[in-house]
Amino acid sequence: MIEIVKAGLETSIQDYPGRIGYWNQGFPPSGPMDSWSFRMANILVGNAPGAAGLECQFLGPTLGFQQDTVVAITGADMRPTLDGIALPLWQSVAVRAGQVLALGAARLGARAYIAIAGGIANPERLGSRSTFHKAGVGGIDGHAVKAGQVLPVFDGTGTAGLVVPEALRPEIRTDRRWEIEVCAGPNDDWIDAAGQERFLSSDWKLSAKSDRTGFRLEGPEWTFAEKAINKPKEHGSLPSNIIDHGYPLGAINLAGQTPIILVNDGPSMGGFINPYTVPSAAFWKLGQAKPGEIFRFRQVSVEEAQDMARAIKARCVAGNLVTL
Amino acid sequence: MATQILAPLPGVFYRRPTPAEPPFKEEGDAVAVGDTIGLVEAMKSFFPVEAETAGRLVAYRIEDGQTVDADDVIADIA
Repeated sequence: MIEIVKAGLETSIQDYPGRIGYWNQGFPPSGPMDSWSFRMANILVGNAPGAAGLECQFLGPTLGFQQDTVVAITGADMRPTLDGIALPLWQSVAVRAGQVLALGAARLGARAYIAIAGGIANPERLGSRSTFHKAGVGGIDGHAVKAGQVLPVFDGTGTAGLVVPEALRPEIRTDRRWEIEVCAGPNDDWIDAAGQERFLSSDWKLSAKSDRTGFRLEGPEWTFAEKAINKPKEHGSLPSNIIDHGYPLGAINLAGQTPIILVNDGPSMGGFINPYTVPSAAFWKLGQAKPGEIFRFRQVSVEEAQDMARAIKARCVAGNLVTL
Repeated sequence: MATQILAPLPGVFYRRPTPAEPPFKEEGDAVAVGDTIGLVEAMKSFFPVEAETAGRLVAYRIEDGQTVDADDVIADIA
């Protein structure tokens, strides 16, 4: 068992790939935004890559351990300490009952992941332990963890001293600039040629008004194709309005002139067009980007996006770990 | 003794509670322990930046609306 001493900022239990199969009923997959770092944390402690762990956002939690175990911390650098002694990232570490693990504010990246040998044993809801706080589903009580809560943990068999080689870790940017892959569509044909070219050649700034539901971007004005302007009235009054339709995960959803990337806890449908879609293999970059950082989008084919996902999956296997 | 107020988390720094209101503090104002001197916005929420020592707010080192990293110096207190 692990006690939450300080909760941090919206620290939540997530598993991977999350709550799959209920999108048609409005349930998003949830799960970790940077699933690359998350899976690496799990394999470091001997878990299946998708076992439930903690996602820490911007400000990490403080945890009190009531049992001996093995933990690993990956992703953003929140300067973790164990009883005040600095802990390395990307490495499995032995923790004894009575010790306190504390994470601070994110210095590099935005989201850190804590895996515990065995994995967190909160109840499954619709096939997943992931927290989806808008519906109050998953986690301990449907929401982010709170001080005083106790997390149950399955029995595990972790080994301390395993390391993820640097070449297999995601490269978290230090220059505040990210190149993010996108696939065209489903509604790229509602944007005119100049608008498509502008989207792919402009800087887009990540707004602080971004969270696990949507990532809001600031950038140039959009221009539209004829079909967005002259259309039946039932589509709505704005060029970016369309008769309500399903949204893909990762959709770059155009609300008037404001693009919002719909991420892990995002909506499944609505009445705005989605000219481009960020593939799941690029979500780790969104999860590690901070407000004010700059995105440039690079168009890839669906096949290339699937290859990216396969390449990440192939890295996140125990056989790739090295011993200290 | 001169001290510094550091950003508690990464985000966007604001000197006023809302765009229509005056700043929390002007340079030269007295500050007491626990006084809010600004806000950092992240994940659709605003987090107060508070003075941990009393004194005089000598200078803001971050402009209104500027991006900050955790531990960036926001203001000098003397």
